[in-house]
Amino acid sequence: MQRRDALDVLARHRGGAVSIATMQTVHHWHDAGQADEFNLDATGCMGSASSIGLGLAMGRPDRKVLVLDGDGSLLMQLGTLVTIASIAPPNLYHVVFVNGLYESTGNQPIPGQGMVDFCGIARSSGYPAAHRFDDLAALDDALPGILDAPGPALIELTIDRDGSGPRWPRVPMAGQVQALRAALAGQE
Amino acid sequence: MTTNAQPLVHSVAGDVLAAELRRIGVTHVVTVPDTMQRTLTAALEAQGDPVLVPVCTEDEAMGVNAGLYATGHRPMLLIQNTGFYASLNTMRGIALDAQIPTFIFVGDFGRDPTKPISESPARVRFTAPTLKAWGIPYYRLDGPDDVSALDGAFAQAYERRGPVVVIIGAATA
Repeated sequence: MQRRDALDVLARHRGGAVSIATMQTVHHWHDAGQADEFNLDATGCMGSASSIGLGLAMGRPDRKVLVLDGDGSLLMQLGTLVTIASIAPPNLYHVVFVNGLYESTGNQPIPGQGMVDFCGIARSSGYPAAHRFDDLAALDDALPGILDAPGPALIELTIDRDGSGPRWPRVPMAGQVQALRAALAGQE
Repeated sequence: MTTNAQPLVHSVAGDVLAAELRRIGVTHVVTVPDTMQRTLTAALEAQGDPVLVPVCTEDEAMGVNAGLYATGHRPMLLIQNTGFYASLNTMRGIALDAQIPTFIFVGDFGRDPTKPISESPARVRFTAPTLKAWGIPYYRLDGPDDVSALDGAFAQAYERRGPVVVIIGAATA
C-alpha cells in the first residue's frame, strides 16, 4: 500500500474531522486538498501530533479529530498512547503510517523495525479499538465503520517504502493554529 | 515578585493557588506531577475547576496545551524543573516556533529554601539561567506576596503567544 493512496482514502472519508498531519504525511495531505482551516501540520515538533490531537479532541468533543502519525514519530512519545487511553476521548482517531524508516532524515531504520506491533501496544495501553491494514481496498471498506464507532481508535497502516525523499510544504504552524482557532470558534 | 536573594520563609497554600488559577481564568492544568506542588495538585483535583489533566511526559503536556488552546480554552502546565529540561525541544517547536501561549508552573525540585540558589544542585541553579538564555519571561513564586502577579504573568503568555514560566521556589503548603 502506498502512503499516497492511503491518504487519498483517508481524505475521502475525513468528513468534517479536524486533522493533524506530521512528517512525511504532510505534503500529500496538502496535495489531496486537505490543508484547509481545520488542518494543522505538526512540523518542527516530531512526536507531538498525537498529543496535540488529544488536546483538540478534549477541547472540542463535538468534532472528530484525525491524527496522521508516523512510526518513528510515535516512538518519540510512545507514552502518549497510555495518556490517550487514560483520557479516552471518543472522538480521536489515531492513524499510524508504518514503513520502518525515519524518512525525513534519510531512510534510517527505526528501532524495532519489523518487530514493533503498534496495534498490540495500543490495545495493551487501553485503546478500545486498534486496526491494522496493508491493503487499500480493505482500508477503504472498513474506514467508515471505524470512524462511526467511538474512539479512541488506532489505525495502523503498513505502507511501502517509496524512496522519493522527504518533502515539506513549509506552511508555518503558527498561522495554521490561529486559523484553526478562528474556524473552530466560528462553528461553536 | 521576590528577588530570591534572601532565604525563603513562607510558602503558599495549595488551595489558595488553586482558587487563584480558577479566578484568573485557567481552564485546564496539564501536569506531570511535581514534588514541590503536591498540595496544589491535590487542591486542583479536589476543586475540579480548572480541570486537572495528567499526562505521561512534559513533551505531551506541551502538545495537549496547544490542542486545548486551539479549541479556545486557556490551559497551563504544572511540571517540575527536571521535566522542564526534558521538554525543551518540544517547547522550542510548539511554544516558540508555533507561538502557542504556554504558561508553566515549574517546581524548583531540589531547592532548599533556607540556602542560596548557588548552593543548590544543578537542576535548581540552571533553571533561571536556562530561561534567560532562551529569552523566556519568568517570575518567582516564593511566598504569599507573589500570588498577585500570577494574573499578569498568565495574560503575558497569551499576549506574546509564547512561554511564560513561574518558578515555584518553595513547596506549596
